[in-house]
Amino acid sequence: MTVAAPKTKAEQALTRNFEAVAARLPGGRAVADARKAAIGAFAALGLPHRRIEEWKYTDLRVALKEALPPAVGAPAQVTVAEIDAALGALAGLDAHRVVFVDGLHAPQLSSAAGLDEVTIQPLAAALAGPADRTGTGLFGEGAARQEAVVALNTAFMTDGAVVGIDERAKPAKPLLLIFVRAGAEGRLVTTRNVLKLAAGARATIIEAHVSLAGAGPAQANTLTEVTLADGAHLAHAKVTLAGEAASHLGTAMVTLGAEAIYWSFQLTAGTQLTRNTTFVDFRGEDAKLDVSGLFLGRGSEHIDTTLVVDHAVPACESRELFKGVLADRARGVFQGKVIVRPGAQKSDGKQMAQALMLSPDAEFDSKPELEIYADDVVCGHGSTAAELDEDMMFYMRARGIPPEEARELLIEGFIGEALDKIEDEAVREAFAAIAKGRLAQLSG
Amino acid sequence: MLEIKNLQVKLAEEDKTILNGVTLRVPKGEVHAIMGPNGSGKSTLAYVLAGREGYEVTGGSVTWNGEDVLAMAPDERAAKGVFLAFQYPIEIPGVATMTFLRTALNAVKRKRGEKELTTPEFLRRVREEAASLGISEEILKRPLNVGFSGGEKKRMEILQMAVLGPTLCVLDETDSGLDIDAMRIVSAGVTKLKSKDRAMLVITHYQRLLNYIVPDRVHVMAGGRIQKSGGKELALELEKSGYAEFTKAA
Repeated sequence: MTVAAPKTKAEQALTRNFEAVAARLPGGRAVADARKAAIGAFAALGLPHRRIEEWKYTDLRVALKEALPPAVGAPAQVTVAEIDAALGALAGLDAHRVVFVDGLHAPQLSSAAGLDEVTIQPLAAALAGPADRTGTGLFGEGAARQEAVVALNTAFMTDGAVVGIDERAKPAKPLLLIFVRAGAEGRLVTTRNVLKLAAGARATIIEAHVSLAGAGPAQANTLTEVTLADGAHLAHAKVTLAGEAASHLGTAMVTLGAEAIYWSFQLTAGTQLTRNTTFVDFRGEDAKLDVSGLFLGRGSEHIDTTLVVDHAVPACESRELFKGVLADRARGVFQGKVIVRPGAQKSDGKQMAQALMLSPDAEFDSKPELEIYADDVVCGHGSTAAELDEDMMFYMRARGIPPEEARELLIEGFIGEALDKIEDEAVREAFAAIAKGRLAQLSG
Repeated sequence: MLEIKNLQVKLAEEDKTILNGVTLRVPKGEVHAIMGPNGSGKSTLAYVLAGREGYEVTGGSVTWNGEDVLAMAPDERAAKGVFLAFQYPIEIPGVATMTFLRTALNAVKRKRGEKELTTPEFLRRVREEAASLGISEEILKRPLNVGFSGGEKKRMEILQMAVLGPTLCVLDETDSGLDIDAMRIVSAGVTKLKSKDRAMLVITHYQRLLNYIVPDRVHVMAGGRIQKSGGKELALELEKSGYAEFTKAA
């Protein structure tokens, strides 16, 4: 028998806030019904807490003390220059932009209209249309996941990018989806993206979650549904620099067709609380997943990377490599679940999570979970948490390198292995520059 | 001139004395060898000269060109020309060998008040030295020492020595783990660096290295102090008689 815990202040406020804004959220009748069902599901589930295994190290009942009012209505006025400043090194990337300010599409800041073989529609517009044309898993499997964070996303989502790439299309430039927190008041910002690549399509899509100077506190909940048809190839990078007064709950739901390749990189820094959950379902044989990332924490920042990879069919490959640098009292969490279903023979999974601890008060919790029900598979995992190696430091100093420079070089070397996973040179350089800038802020 | 006077060293964390009053003078332009059995304190002496943590100097002094070496941080010592070729070179993952060499060379040049090399000058210098040590371009691109064979690591030590241009070279068991061909290459590299402005201290367990790097003086170390000093013929005597006489005395 389960005894329902009393609702926290934040849980009560979320339900109340939904009632207050429901009429102003986009979508027709079917969408409104889905939202109601979702907030009902959330009310039953409550915020996830440490006694739920998937949330063992990230207790949202404790972390989210209050619920900020949802951002609906006209967002703050924002200039391209302000966005570029928030994007840092990524601003120089030659890409088509789709910009969302406090959860609403800002067409005047976007530059991705009228592309060949690529359709981009704001989610709000898609939701207002016929239900079967939204392309989201809202009415199907996406809604079925018993996840409070997903339910909250469905209930509150205001906008996002619905992107379709035509069969065998290979857009030359990356698509940069920019989510900006701008207003001075604290807000709950909820976005959902739908990325669909038709058979044989190949694209690079980058999500940047940033905060303008002077922006107020934020509770972001963002969900990206990714569907790759057979032989499609998506490079999907995400950078989260949401700010000291921000929590960021990110969910990616990825389904891969046969011979599809999903490559992903997640860079997280300078965000008070981050939880990035990635669900990957292999639906066709010979597909490949390569997900890696870098998290840099300082102060009391908390960065949780959770992966759930489901080898449901044979002969798929998954690679996971995450590296973290943690200073002060920062806490990193890595949970890597790999499920190999009965009959998913020749599955090949490798996982590695490593944290460099710059402070004795930093913490890294790493939990690999391999659930293997097939017998002809190769699966491995590893995890380390270590301080800067004294022998390496001495060796470098014995060659004349001053301690600060030696330390910097060692940290850059440590994170370099993750950054090297980024194939696109321009994207890699931008991410490396952002990481380097953030590293300089980590105290030792 | 390197001048070590009555140097006494213990492990910082335990009450264990390793060096028991080492006294040694190595003038510029000379190559001195220190030979001795395992556990005699040879490697400790090398580490203390380079400034490794974990040792506590309880007495005595070390000066190089009249300056107090023990008062300097390891990187300051390197800038003053002190170089230790490690017995077990450390692997530095994620830092390309070229990047490492460049960072180190620029750091010592800055401290010495010299001009940093331009990129072409630097590349030319490294490639020339690498070629003479049989180190391939491909190795220079790899993270320093990561996945290198024992011989490659030792050659890389000598390459670093050649590039950084130190004036006091301490070689700790540079011959260990080398086959005869690698030893020839490494020794030629070291011999090439002999000069009137440079002092060298070659630490080895075996006499064979000294066939290639011919010392001016040989010192026998046992029980944490120099037990006997002589010319290069002392090495040959040791090869015959072994260290038993000295370990008993110590």
